[in-house]
Amino acid sequence: MAELSRTLPAEDRLVLLPKNPGLFFFFWQFSSGRAAAFLSGAFSPEIELRLVCPDGGGPSQPVRADWQTGRGYVPVPEQCKTCQAALYALRGGSWEKLLESNQASAPLAAGMAEDRAYASLEFHKKVLS
Amino acid sequence: MSSRGSLMFVLHAHLPYVNHPQDSGFLEENWFFEAVVETYVPIISALERLAGEGIRPGVAVSISPTLGAMLENEALEAKLQLYIESRLELLELELSRAHNDPALLRTVKLYLKLYEEAAELMHKYSGDLITPLKALQHAGQIEIITTSATHAVLPLLARPEAVRAQLAVAAEDYADRFNRKPAGFWLPECAYEPRLNSYLKLSGFNYTFTESHSVGLAAAAAPNGVYSPYRTSNGLGLFARDAASSREVWSSSFGYPGDPAYREFYRDFGYDGDYEYVRPYLGADGIRRPLGLKYHRITGAGSDLAAKQYYDPEAAMARVEAHASDFLARRMKQTDDFYAARGARPLIVSCYDAELFGHWWFEGPAFLESVIRKIRVERLPLQFVTPSEYLNSCQEPQELSPGISSWGENGYFDPWVNETNDFIYPAVYAATDKMIETANRFRNQDLSAVAARALNQAARETLLSQSSDWAFLLYIGSHAAYAKGRLEDHAANAVKLLGEVAEKKVDEAALAALEQKNSVFPRLDFRVFASVSKF
Repeated sequence: MAELSRTLPAEDRLVLLPKNPGLFFFFWQFSSGRAAAFLSGAFSPEIELRLVCPDGGGPSQPVRADWQTGRGYVPVPEQCKTCQAALYALRGGSWEKLLESNQASAPLAAGMAEDRAYASLEFHKKVLS
Repeated sequence: MSSRGSLMFVLHAHLPYVNHPQDSGFLEENWFFEAVVETYVPIISALERLAGEGIRPGVAVSISPTLGAMLENEALEAKLQLYIESRLELLELELSRAHNDPALLRTVKLYLKLYEEAAELMHKYSGDLITPLKALQHAGQIEIITTSATHAVLPLLARPEAVRAQLAVAAEDYADRFNRKPAGFWLPECAYEPRLNSYLKLSGFNYTFTESHSVGLAAAAAPNGVYSPYRTSNGLGLFARDAASSREVWSSSFGYPGDPAYREFYRDFGYDGDYEYVRPYLGADGIRRPLGLKYHRITGAGSDLAAKQYYDPEAAMARVEAHASDFLARRMKQTDDFYAARGARPLIVSCYDAELFGHWWFEGPAFLESVIRKIRVERLPLQFVTPSEYLNSCQEPQELSPGISSWGENGYFDPWVNETNDFIYPAVYAATDKMIETANRFRNQDLSAVAARALNQAARETLLSQSSDWAFLLYIGSHAAYAKGRLEDHAANAVKLLGEVAEKKVDEAALAALEQKNSVFPRLDFRVFASVSKF
């Protein structure tokens, strides 16, 4: 998996972006203070990402990952198209909310994907190569 | 003959900002040189020819701000001139080499004409291709629109400040370049989400374009489908792309550019030619690479490159005429079918990347010219119309709230957010968040000239980091190392400059070098990123 070659100053950040009707992409970064808390063992190494629906949609399955993973994909909950993510970590056996994301809206599924796979520079890749 | 429907061609011309003034042979600058010779010059020439014949093209052309900046960059113009001269020199040699090979000679002469026309047009306009475009717009022949400042996929910018900055800089850049306010906005990658409506309207745009299925995804019924314009609740005009007319041009199974008579893109003399013969025309590293001289035709789907037959320009032009006629016949059937069903005259909106015409589909500019000319010459019951003309003359459009969509593969954001490129977003957001935070901090402060320059350059670097091109190049695996390096450079440059301003330790020499290299948007004011903009 490709990674950035250089490290930029880290700040606490959780961002949720739409990918397609079924998936959100999310990534997080921790400030040096937060990272130190993970490294010291104050937080357990596993984080949990939960999606919440401001409009009251159905609950989603939390996604767990190592705190250093930095990014992942989460299914769009049914009945919930506009979501906000929150990132939790375990401290002393209790989940503690560390970060909240922006709100993001997932697109509705239109089907017909194959029929549309011709636009833009897609042509270069699909036809001429 | 009265019109049975309207056609709207939208050509979106965009290249990422590539400018390496310290390097005389930077590979990626060839993207620009190839596009100028193979796409922009042929399309401008075709538009001028049509206008000269009294045939108003009536197309909309989107010029991205980064492309506009490159078209006006004198250092790039000088390099472009050298590029053209180099190809003309090689083609003179090729004339001798092909002297006893009539089949090859035809195509060599065709390329000679192509490069000579490019040289002539560049000379005619003193190297500035914005001038003829501006003149065509001024004469009412075409309508020029813009797109986001650095072609950012706007739904992937979560911060409102970042979206506003992309739009505000684009609007200002357009006004500087074309001496008027822009009416239309091309959403990069046709990527739409409803929150953009208000930003677009607040930035002064009257209309934009969405992908076909955005209409089907709208909450309200849209009985006219993609065949009429719409408006959002805040009065922004919307045109939906017609899938059928795009599919005929670009379908991988039956699209016109795959015709066996058309020029083969991948077999290039840079790979075929004797090494010592082509060596002076390759880069400084001497690695074989495309020279833009492609002497073969597609020949057959899936045929091996080595088995390709020589290109025959006359046979290809015959297919252009046939394809233009077929395209128009299909549009007339579309209009007839729609009229029969709805009792109204439809609008067919056909949107394409401009670079597909000429660069990828060599015969594309001739196809466009033929389509436009045939409507007039053959007195076909269709008319070309620009977006502003249509909105100014049509009935009040139905209100619609289209669905989130793009014209990329699968119709959403997969090409720009996937496991080949998702690692870039922390860097993009690190630069963007820092830029917003710093703009808020310094927006009302008195600044030294150097600090202001550093903040403005940081804003340029931030905008450049947000370009959709880096993610797309990583996705298709083309120039991936360059894309990754560019993105990282811009993000790191922005963060570094912002840190230097905060610490009052601006490295003036490094700043000057960045200002020379990444010199887009000369009037950019960093405050455009502030949360409450002064603009």
